[in-house]
Amino acid sequence: MGSELAQLLVNGLVAGIVLAVPAIGFTAIYAVLRFPNFALASHATIGAFAGYVANATLGWPAWAAVSVAFVVAGIAGVVNDQLVLRPLRPAGALTTAIGAVALTIVLENVVRFVFGNDLRGYALPIRRDWQWAGIRIGPQQVENLAIAVAAMLAVFVFLGFTRTGKAMRAVADDPTLAGLKGIDAERVARLTSFGGMGLAGVGGMLLGLDTTIDPLTGFRVILSVFAAAVVGGLGSIPGAVVGALTIGVAEELSLISLAPAYRTAVGFVAILLVLTLRPRGLLGERAY
Amino acid sequence: MRQRGMILSRRALLGGAASAGVLASLAGVVRAQPAAIRLGTLNPLTGSGGSYGPSMRKAMEWVAQEVNAAGGVNGRQVQLFSEDDQTNPEAAVRAARKLIDVDKVAAVMGTWASAVTTAVAPLCWESKTFLTTVSGSDTITQLPHNGYLIRTQPNTHLQIGKLGEFLLSLRVKRVFTLAAQTPFAVPSQKRLQEILPRGGAETVGSVIYDKDKTTFRSEVDQALRAKPDMIYLNGYTPDCTILMKELFKAGYTGAKVAQGYAVNTKLLGQLPAEVTDGTYTATPSPAVESAGYRRLAKVLGTDDLDPYSCQCHDHISLVLLAVAHAKGEASGTAIRDHVRKISQGNGVKVDSAVEGLKLLAQGKDVNYEGASGPCDFTEFGDILDCKIRFDQAQGGKFKFVKLI
Repeated sequence: MGSELAQLLVNGLVAGIVLAVPAIGFTAIYAVLRFPNFALASHATIGAFAGYVANATLGWPAWAAVSVAFVVAGIAGVVNDQLVLRPLRPAGALTTAIGAVALTIVLENVVRFVFGNDLRGYALPIRRDWQWAGIRIGPQQVENLAIAVAAMLAVFVFLGFTRTGKAMRAVADDPTLAGLKGIDAERVARLTSFGGMGLAGVGGMLLGLDTTIDPLTGFRVILSVFAAAVVGGLGSIPGAVVGALTIGVAEELSLISLAPAYRTAVGFVAILLVLTLRPRGLLGERAY
Repeated sequence: MRQRGMILSRRALLGGAASAGVLASLAGVVRAQPAAIRLGTLNPLTGSGGSYGPSMRKAMEWVAQEVNAAGGVNGRQVQLFSEDDQTNPEAAVRAARKLIDVDKVAAVMGTWASAVTTAVAPLCWESKTFLTTVSGSDTITQLPHNGYLIRTQPNTHLQIGKLGEFLLSLRVKRVFTLAAQTPFAVPSQKRLQEILPRGGAETVGSVIYDKDKTTFRSEVDQALRAKPDMIYLNGYTPDCTILMKELFKAGYTGAKVAQGYAVNTKLLGQLPAEVTDGTYTATPSPAVESAGYRRLAKVLGTDDLDPYSCQCHDHISLVLLAVAHAKGEASGTAIRDHVRKISQGNGVKVDSAVEGLKLLAQGKDVNYEGASGPCDFTEFGDILDCKIRFDQAQGGKFKFVKLI
């Protein structure tokens, strides 16, 4: 039982840290643009496929392909936001969120049109897991963990120590005040779309590295991403990390008493609990 | 120009009148012949079954052509009305309504997806139209269809029964099931629990997982804790791909078995051979040795016929033989009442509709055994027996193991 629990914790932490990457993207976009951008699902897929092209077609190693995933998903994010979502924003957050859902379905079908419906696997050797004391962890998982942690550190450094990062936080805090101080809100919005969707792309690829990718890769994970962001506190970046770890570990630990088929429900029970008991999320909104 | 147009139109008018006359006289000829036997085909030409539908339809059209060329059924020609069910229950219901209400067909043949068959079946039994299907879900023949339905696809009970027999022949002792959440997950597990103890083996547990998850590490851990020597992967291609990878990573070295539609050549192409090697697959098999199969393979231009085209070939053959046995009465009720009189029993074994029709015309009894198999039915419309083909993945390719 002891080793079973430890194994579930390890699985949960690994799943949670990978989930944290797109969750940070989601919550950052929410903080600046004030709407839940569900188009993140298709951008995770776009990133996963961009990384796939770099890795499987061009033969780049995984860590280099991840940067391609970031850049391609980020550019797609800016273009789609400017063309589709920005004109919807004056109509309110709900309209924009609905537009984002429609956009994600369209983009997913574009990916399907280009790459087809087949499953694809990255060109990586499948290695046996390391095992000790009855607990196992895969070399690929450790690599994913490292990439995810590096991406998160980069985000924190960017937001905490760079001028643009501080400008972003200012807009998230109070757009009017930021405007008075001469911060170009539109530029910040574009940067946020780039960074947020770029992180989604990295998340999509990290998920695919350990499994396979298809046009629904992002769609499958968006609800867990949303749950992580809400549980941690929408708009809070450390909150997204805490939320993702909570969801990851809770989903795994639920297996002690629940059949795996009900695992998906855990995230939603967590959303309901948090919204009822602590509506601003575990860390509260706007915690940096 | 206008005048020229007038002349032309006058000519056209004259021509039209003349051809109307010819048509009218032709109609007289047509009227003199007995009315055609009207049958409907309802196949998935598009949607997820779209890779099978066109060939299923072609198989039925070929049988109709052959029968018509040989003089029809009791002197009546066969006329097919074909619709696309789009692998979608709503589209299928619209198409079936047209076939039943407008085209007045006696039988609807060749529905593929279980959801489509379940939606179309009530229209058929309400209107006393016969329905033949290749859907496999256990629940289909449990519908209150009053005998207006037969299927040639083995149900879960039959398929898993054979799988159990196969596993016993491999002398495995401890079987664990990893199943996607589907309507057949629980019935499959129950059936294995019935069969395995007969040969001294047991089921040591099962996990039903949400197939849309991206990782199954904990499910795999759960399976390995039971220390199985055989794991049955009862899912679809995407989840089986991930499961096989994870079983390999976790260091599992025991045997694996899966359904042929899940672990297919596409999956083998995705994964390194060291991950897939040794995996067994189970696939309902047509009667590949039969003359009916070989003839159809030649007509459809392939050495490797899919089971559904073979079954559709048999659907129309059975329907036409039943009509002939009912002295040419082409109604759903006549087909229902006569289909078992030509598909099973002590009659002369035949593997084609043309041959069977000849013998029936001579007053002989026939027992149809087609390209898909023996085509013997229970009172509920299930087939009594079907061959299941077992293959094993070796070096990224499938090698035939045995037929049970």
